[in-house]
Amino acid sequence: MSHETFDDQVAAYALDVLETSERAAFEAHLAGCARCERTLRESREALAAVVLDGPPAVPPPDVKAALMRRLAEETAPPRRRSDTRRLWLRGAVVAAAAMVVGGFLTGMFVAARYEAELGRVARETSRLREDLARQEAALQARVTAYQAVVDLLRDPSTRVIALKGAGPSPTAEGRVVWHETAGGQVLITKLPPAPAGKAYEMWTIAGGTPTAAGVFQVDASGQAIHRVPPGAGPVDVFAVTLEPESGVPAPTGPIVLASAK
Amino acid sequence: MATVGEDLVRRMAAGDGDAFARFYDRYAPMVYPLILRIVRDRSDAADVLQDVFWETWRAAGTYDPARGTPEAWIVTRARTRAIDRVRSMRRRSETFVAPMDDAMAAAPAESGGDAADRASDRSVVTGALGRLPVPQREVLELAYYGGLTQTEIAERIKQPLGTVKTRMRLGLERLREMMKR
Repeated sequence: MSHETFDDQVAAYALDVLETSERAAFEAHLAGCARCERTLRESREALAAVVLDGPPAVPPPDVKAALMRRLAEETAPPRRRSDTRRLWLRGAVVAAAAMVVGGFLTGMFVAARYEAELGRVARETSRLREDLARQEAALQARVTAYQAVVDLLRDPSTRVIALKGAGPSPTAEGRVVWHETAGGQVLITKLPPAPAGKAYEMWTIAGGTPTAAGVFQVDASGQAIHRVPPGAGPVDVFAVTLEPESGVPAPTGPIVLASAK
Repeated sequence: MATVGEDLVRRMAAGDGDAFARFYDRYAPMVYPLILRIVRDRSDAADVLQDVFWETWRAAGTYDPARGTPEAWIVTRARTRAIDRVRSMRRRSETFVAPMDDAMAAAPAESGGDAADRASDRSVVTGALGRLPVPQREVLELAYYGGLTQTEIAERIKQPLGTVKTRMRLGLERLREMMKR
């Protein structure tokens, strides 16, 4: 694929009107393309210049007043001392008495509470960190897959083959981005998640003989992207079947997706 | 050397409220007509303007001069927030589709609204956008001020999607060239 598609996409992206469906793949490309990055930056500057060239208009004065009020609130000390001084004095007398009587117990109580609180915060933090690590790994995997698709599409001998839903999932759709010697990636939508203990298995069929090309699961929205190794020979048909979770050497379950012969 | 805008943003990042006030005075009169043109309602435009500038105060520390000028930073943000506002209103009530569609369909000279609206419309036509061929200008305006996707624009102007994509790309290319000169 030439760079022309990206030239169109970067224009729409600069105007912030790129179709949602194209956004993720384009952003994956943008992350590694200095040309698109420059086009995007210069387009935003050009659009800003158009805006800044226009005759100015005085905004309603209460906008600035409101902003300055928020600013003052944000930078003001949280509580004014003069208001609380008297309360503080009275509190000090009570506190002194309390300290004499209950100082020891209070110390124990505070220490125990802080320990509990610290433990809770530590657990919370490590849970958040694990969540983040999981999300990052998932995102990383997705970016790697998108990048692989983009790399494949750069090669002129890469083909894109449509897969049609069949049997139990007639509305499922797929595309195989396929390079005869390098293999490819299959992108699937609208395929229901496999039942417990089951998984989807990809097949490359060459000369009537199916070769297993890996098992995969779809996400909650029915989407999947899966790497397909090169076939045993020139591949005539691509198919996906529902199989036991660990995969099988030859298809046994129903075909859920297949390419036309 | 840092520009005036860059210097102000850097001081804002350091918590300088005076710099924020000056930043507002410098850019609000440019950004306000843009927001007004997109949301079409003065009180909505004032809300968006306040949100946008408060965000810049909060986000000043994340501004990176290598990724663009402060001008592009604030204008991009203002345009995005204004479009968000129009889209959320559209979602809330289908009746909002009509005013925006009218605004987009009307030729600038015939558009309704008050003096400020007309001024901001005219400015765009006499400015850099006005030097573009009309088909390219139309596509850019529908996208930038109307927030329409390429598919939506194709439906509206009854042109093939590919034509819309090409016009959008060429239009932006010309704008970039004009800026370099």
